Amino acid sequence: MNYGKYPIILFLLTLLFGCVDSTEDQDIPEENSDRKEMLKFWVEEMIIPSYSEFEQDLQNMVISADQFVNNPTESNLQALRNTWVQAYVSWQHVELFEVGPAEKYTLRNFYNIYPTNVSGIETNISSSTLNLNLPSTYDQQGFPALDYLINGVAEEDIKILEFYTDSEKGENRRAYLNTLVTRMELLLNQVTSDWNGPAKEEFISKTGLDIGSSTASMVNAYVLYYERHVRSGKFGIPSGATLASSGTPNPEKIEAYYKQDISLLLAKTAHQAFTDFFNGNANGKQGPSLKTYLVAIGAKDPSTGILLSEYITEQLAVISNLLNGLSENLYQQIITDNDSMIQVYQEMQKAVRILKVDMTSAMSITITYTDNDGD
Amino acid sequence: MVTNLKTRFSSYLNQTSSPAALVVFRMMFGLLMFLSLLRFWLKGWIHQLYIAPKHHFSYYGFEWVQPLGQYTYLLFLVGMIAALFIGIGLYYRWAALLFFLSFTYIELMDKTTYLNHYYFISLLSFLLIFLPANAYFSIDAWRKPSLNSSKIPSWCTDSIKLMVIILYFFAGLAKLNSDWLFLALPMKIWLPAKNDLPLIGNLLNETWVAYLFSWIGCIYDLSIGFLLLYTPTRKLAYTSVIVFHLLTSILFPIGMFPYIMIGTALIFFSQDFHLRIIHKIGGIMHASSSFLNPQRSFSYSNNLNSLFIGLLILFFTIQILLPFRYLLYPGELFWTEEGYRFSWRVMLMEKMGSATFLAKGENGEIKEVDNKEFLTPQQEKMMATQPDMILEFAHILQNHFEKTGIENPQIYVDSYVSLNGRIGKALIDPKIDLSEEKESFAPKNWILKFEDEIKGF
Repeated sequence: MNYGKYPIILFLLTLLFGCVDSTEDQDIPEENSDRKEMLKFWVEEMIIPSYSEFEQDLQNMVISADQFVNNPTESNLQALRNTWVQAYVSWQHVELFEVGPAEKYTLRNFYNIYPTNVSGIETNISSSTLNLNLPSTYDQQGFPALDYLINGVAEEDIKILEFYTDSEKGENRRAYLNTLVTRMELLLNQVTSDWNGPAKEEFISKTGLDIGSSTASMVNAYVLYYERHVRSGKFGIPSGATLASSGTPNPEKIEAYYKQDISLLLAKTAHQAFTDFFNGNANGKQGPSLKTYLVAIGAKDPSTGILLSEYITEQLAVISNLLNGLSENLYQQIITDNDSMIQVYQEMQKAVRILKVDMTSAMSITITYTDNDGD
Repeated sequence: MVTNLKTRFSSYLNQTSSPAALVVFRMMFGLLMFLSLLRFWLKGWIHQLYIAPKHHFSYYGFEWVQPLGQYTYLLFLVGMIAALFIGIGLYYRWAALLFFLSFTYIELMDKTTYLNHYYFISLLSFLLIFLPANAYFSIDAWRKPSLNSSKIPSWCTDSIKLMVIILYFFAGLAKLNSDWLFLALPMKIWLPAKNDLPLIGNLLNETWVAYLFSWIGCIYDLSIGFLLLYTPTRKLAYTSVIVFHLLTSILFPIGMFPYIMIGTALIFFSQDFHLRIIHKIGGIMHASSSFLNPQRSFSYSNNLNSLFIGLLILFFTIQILLPFRYLLYPGELFWTEEGYRFSWRVMLMEKMGSATFLAKGENGEIKEVDNKEFLTPQQEKMMATQPDMILEFAHILQNHFEKTGIENPQIYVDSYVSLNGRIGKALIDPKIDLSEEKESFAPKNWILKFEDEIKGF
């Protein structure tokens, strides 16, 4: 709330007193456009609970990684793989929340930059001066690096185990695995403790739509996430649908390239989390959301009467349906039928535009602001 | 009838009145311009808007006006000093000329920073060059008592009033369109964005409030100039000027403009009113009574008088015709924006877009452009909805790719624009190679049809 303008408003109200009808207006809209309530629901029912759940899953991964590092057996490897999959899926529920603390610590950069850099990882393993805060190391850590380390260092499990039991390098390799996992835990801890501290109230209190306001920051982060990390990252780049890849498919650039058969699951989970956020769907609990906000402010096309919220929901549903028709292994999908991948990309591109232009215009939010006068 | 009008006009031109209103305006203008430029500087906008960007968008015919690197600060400094000199009336005419040139140069440096109120300031400072606003209560008049006058030609003060009336009236005329009046757009979009304001926040969610704001805004703009001119309604009109502009200052990010208008509208008040202000300031400064009460009447030489009057008639004729130039273009004005600027179309529409450019080389190579590599977010935002800027950016890209080794690059744009809440669609024909198109005043036939109608001006 902008209390700096309080005196001007009071002055104006005094001047206008008698002109403005001050009787109670009974015309309460069906949906509420109170951004404070929306922010409160976002942070209390969506962001923080999603992080807690992810924290739990990550914790399980940390434990099994610890067991594996201390005792690199086949069953411990399998256990680590299972918890890694669970944590990676769970991550898809929080990756979209790169605002506030997560933005401050740029969590995504350390968690999910792929394809991972194998030669970088090899160098790191034998390096004594490792600094994983450097931007050049983003692709040498997080889930994609773990993917390589537990699924990709060799074809057969026996060979993978030998990788860690090697008398010469095994110890360093186990240490690196341990470093990555502990680091993820530490970074997440910073984010969650910030959210549970003053960041929460701060987020709820910035109710405007200008630069730095919570709604604008969230919408910016939300749309950027979908554009770069879902549309391009999971589909556009691997399928070669983005022009940057000039039409050449790069199946090895899929998410979870070494595990492969969870790549669709990750993408579907991300798309579902994205959709749930739009709809205000928090584990079955329904709350104020972008959708209800758009309804409340009456966002619709003045020539066709189409409700913007419906238009967005439909487009997200089109994408869901397409995702259901894909192979669980997106690598195979690209090899056998890349057109379906490209089609997903194109529909996601439509969604990006609707969100980036139509939704932000309807809400009076600008994507990537500079603060300057308008007229 | 015609001769009658002619004699009435020439007798009007011979009328004289106190310079007090023009002098108060001069002081107010000088001070506010100094503060505006200072504010611009302190906010870091000189760097952000004129030094940091790698490329700039030029006005057609003014491509030679470019930022001056670090010397851009000097340009602002010149403008600020000139503004102060205008305010105190020292070397007034040179100061007015210098201010006009420096300020206008600044505005011409990058089209993406265009604001109607900057244009208004350029025009006011242009007028000031020809007006004897230093003929009373100025340092010039103090140093040269033969300049100090109690009378100046009435047309001098009136030309500022006319400029203000034109601004408001055309701003009102532009609001006479179906989106504004019958759909309350874009108010219906903009007001709920401020629903977290104390006290009035909840009201801004109401549709009827959006209609009320639209209609009041339109009626206000159309009538306020005349209500200020007419003595019995002046006080009420001025009160509404204050209310209206303060309200807009709360709701919209329009910087100094409300304060400039509140100050400028004072010019409509009577001679006595302005004389009282001047005597009050003079009293504080212990100015002599002879300085405050000069006896002479200011006039230009006959030749200069005819020249200035001829110039002003030409100036105002252009001012009145310019906003109608859009009629020479086909298609929906809000969509094509051909003839949109320099027409007092202020806060009139909600338009947002995205534009993705492709460069295709002769050997079949295709590059997708990351706009951010070339433009600032502000530039990108403005460019994405305005066809002339899209073309200019295409030419910037053409140049760039020629230099980086793509021979004869073809430039295509995939654009998507939403206007007043309409679901977005392509603004520019994606099959047109923009590297082949030239900027001109001719209609741009590669702008796609709006396929809806916004009736009215």
